[in-house]
Amino acid sequence: MTNKKGDQESPKALANSTSQSATQRVPPPETSEAIHTRFRVIAAFWAVIIFLGFPIWWKTTSIYRAHLPIQEMVDWDDGKICRPVFPLEIHVATPQMQISESQHLLRTTQHTLDDLNEFAAHHLRLKPVNDTSASTPDEEHNVDAIGNAVEEGAEIALTVRVLSQEGLVSPRSELHADTTQLDVFYPPNHVPLPSSSNPPLSAFIAKELQGLYSEEKATIGHILSGETAGFDSESISRRLRRSMKYADTYHLSFSLFTPGPAPSSWDIENAVKEYLSPLLHAFAPISNFTIDTQVQLYATFSPMAPPPVYDEGEAAWTLRKEDLSAFINAAEWPLNPSIGSGPTLNFILYVPAPSQSPLVVKENRASSWIVPQWGGVYLLNPTLLTDQSGQSNPPYLTHESLRPAFMTFSHQLLTLLGTPTTPASLPLRLQTLTRVRAATLLLSASSTMGSLARLTESLPSIPIPATVASSVSTTLSHLSATCSYLRDGRFAAALASARVAETEAERSFFEKSMVGQVYFPDEHKVAVYLPLLGPIGVPLLVSLLKEVKRMIARRKANKAPAASN
Amino acid sequence: MISLVSRSLQLLLLLLIACTATAEHTSNWAVLVSTSRFWFNYRHLANVLSLYRTVKRLGIPDSQIILMLPDDMACNPRNAFPGTVYSNADRAVDLYGDNIEVDYRGYEVTVENFIRLLTDRLDEDVPRSKRLGSDAGSNVLVYMTGHGGDQFLKFQDAEEIGAWDLADAFGQMWEKKRYHELLFMIDTCQANTMYTHFYSPNIVATGSSELDQSSYSHHADNDVGVAVIDRWTYYVLEFLETQVTSANSKLNLGDLFDSYDESKIHSQPGVRWDLFPGGEPEGRLRTVVDFFGNVQNVEVENANATEPGSLKEDLAEIAKLVEKWQRRDEEYSAILNNSTQQTENRPSSSVHLNQKKTVGPTRMTDESSWGKRLVGLSVIGACTAIWVAGSYLGR
Repeated sequence: MTNKKGDQESPKALANSTSQSATQRVPPPETSEAIHTRFRVIAAFWAVIIFLGFPIWWKTTSIYRAHLPIQEMVDWDDGKICRPVFPLEIHVATPQMQISESQHLLRTTQHTLDDLNEFAAHHLRLKPVNDTSASTPDEEHNVDAIGNAVEEGAEIALTVRVLSQEGLVSPRSELHADTTQLDVFYPPNHVPLPSSSNPPLSAFIAKELQGLYSEEKATIGHILSGETAGFDSESISRRLRRSMKYADTYHLSFSLFTPGPAPSSWDIENAVKEYLSPLLHAFAPISNFTIDTQVQLYATFSPMAPPPVYDEGEAAWTLRKEDLSAFINAAEWPLNPSIGSGPTLNFILYVPAPSQSPLVVKENRASSWIVPQWGGVYLLNPTLLTDQSGQSNPPYLTHESLRPAFMTFSHQLLTLLGTPTTPASLPLRLQTLTRVRAATLLLSASSTMGSLARLTESLPSIPIPATVASSVSTTLSHLSATCSYLRDGRFAAALASARVAETEAERSFFEKSMVGQVYFPDEHKVAVYLPLLGPIGVPLLVSLLKEVKRMIARRKANKAPAASN
Repeated sequence: MISLVSRSLQLLLLLLIACTATAEHTSNWAVLVSTSRFWFNYRHLANVLSLYRTVKRLGIPDSQIILMLPDDMACNPRNAFPGTVYSNADRAVDLYGDNIEVDYRGYEVTVENFIRLLTDRLDEDVPRSKRLGSDAGSNVLVYMTGHGGDQFLKFQDAEEIGAWDLADAFGQMWEKKRYHELLFMIDTCQANTMYTHFYSPNIVATGSSELDQSSYSHHADNDVGVAVIDRWTYYVLEFLETQVTSANSKLNLGDLFDSYDESKIHSQPGVRWDLFPGGEPEGRLRTVVDFFGNVQNVEVENANATEPGSLKEDLAEIAKLVEKWQRRDEEYSAILNNSTQQTENRPSSSVHLNQKKTVGPTRMTDESSWGKRLVGLSVIGACTAIWVAGSYLGR
């Protein structure tokens, strides 16, 4: 530190130059200008790297992940936010009773009902109706009741008319098969006295109502908790198993298959219009349907399938029940139209060859069967035409001859869509289906939300576009709307809302751009970055280090003279 | 004695429980993937086509089989037997036949498409035949073959799928309840490394060879000129073809895996049970047709039964509904006729079925082409002006 020749030079270089000056030629000392320039060059490089390179790299390699309300989604999945309830409103008309009598009847019946009910989420509320107009069967209203999604207030699930009838010993009831109406007839002397706390008429009505809705209760309980209590659980889980998964649109495909050249045409348009469209219209609030039809001639059985056997006793060709699953020749019959987006329900009308007619199922002479989650089959044995060349099938099937087939298809459609079997009134069963579907969709959309939330957390490399976030918020708002509609007893509105929630939930989960095939193990990343960073990074880093060292040395050198002075 | 009885009762109960558990799945799906192209990989396509033939024989319909073939060996100019693919030198069975449905072919077979298929993240306009429509009740068979290495499987000489991505894809399938039980089979070199990262439950995985082991071809057909099938697939198929003869076969996965003979396969096949609830003892009980066959428990309708929901009851209800609609239609048309005479061609039914309409050609866009041309012209003009100005000023 004795030499004061140059402030700028590093002490080490100085030491070197003094010790080796005798043997080696020393490079000329760097001018302060050159050192400044070098400092600026290095600073410029690093500025570009830090302020331009690094942000660009960060921006281009980072994955866009929109913010999702993870906690809320998980809460929906856990059922913390919504406990679905199903309050059913039942109108009771008592045209032949005094107001006080009917009020008493209602009160006691309601009391009995509440006592009978062990499933709290599903309960029946009785309401008196005084005007006689409501008690007359108002068909238009009943048919539209489930179709009217924006109807204000709770829907009327059922109208009970309590009528007196002479000559009865005990009360009896009668359910209208085509409306939502239950008639209860009672002997005139059964009018409940205001004093009796549990009149037999109330008990009877309560028991009837309880019976009407027992299957629905069991089904909803099964869906909500995953287990059944009370009602025949085997039949419910079987029904849920064979019914189709819910879809917004179902595609119905009606096919006429025959092994020979006839029948080559059928009056399908009128048959569909006449026998099927009423049912489809009744289903309109639950699902949409598209229909296509086809005629396939010379459709043979698959070579693997056991052929029908002639049964002398029955005088018919028979198929064994266990062979029915091989009846459909999936390999060769064109049954997979793959049009549109919805799942396809296949309905097959099979007309056997004249030589194998009539064809029935061996065990019970049935002519139709259901293939769970797939469709139905009907064996149609038309009356054969006889001419000189032998017997032949009629070339054309009129819509009268299609009637049994299409009635069966309607029944199969009901089954495949998961319609409950009781009560014996189609409008009531469809109402039940509305509630069941609303519950199913509510749960399935909630669980999709939970899946998406867990997926988001577990796969950090998956991008989440903004559309997913908006779909999620739509889903969540519709889910809460569904929940409140259910609480108000507006089931059609609840179903409509649940359908939107389900569609949006599916859309958000199956978003196209969320494909996680960007996982690279760490060694791959090193392999990608090393060729780039090696040649560029080493000179940059080394120069930075040198510069930092020089600056530290200079500061020390500056301090040292100050201290010695 | 009493303990024996109670023991056997317990056993019976267990069996019953097992039965109800196995009866749960409601549909079967198969995803069969070959990942390599070019003539010398003939055997990989033959592997997949043999499996395809087997699952179809056991009853899975084409609509529930996703077949991915990256090349078309039948139409390869080097094929001495055009239009055919054989997996055996005896050439007894033409695998190509006249009824195969290839869902993804040629360059459609990519890692991305495969993962999209599994997770169903596909465009809305992708037809249903190219989608895996499985649900919470579906048993899915995934078979893959090609050239692979430690934790990857090469696709098409251009890219590869890692074991992590495959595991994540299955994880997402499980999350969205897209399978009930899944059987994963892979025939490639170091195949067992491909399922090491799986983490979602209800998966049974099996592969042809351990880490650092090759998976060999079985034999070559001298007239075709290349190897026609891989060893592991050959012996799996041998089991399926000779033992599982019908869709009602009771043979289980345990039998299938026990049939592996390392001296014949020339590598050590592996099985992974730990993801399956109940582990190996439970998994072995699953029948082979649970995955390779198709469940179809048809329900015959008894025309004479009268319980609620039976055919007869329903028919009565539907008939009433139909009657009511007919009445309503009549009333409706009567009202229509009374009120307006000129609207006779209105459909009398209030249910609108889609009427067939002939669709004419439509314009793809409705913006004016002249506007676009004007914009183009002005852009070119501006560029020219800048260039002219630049060259003038720069002089």
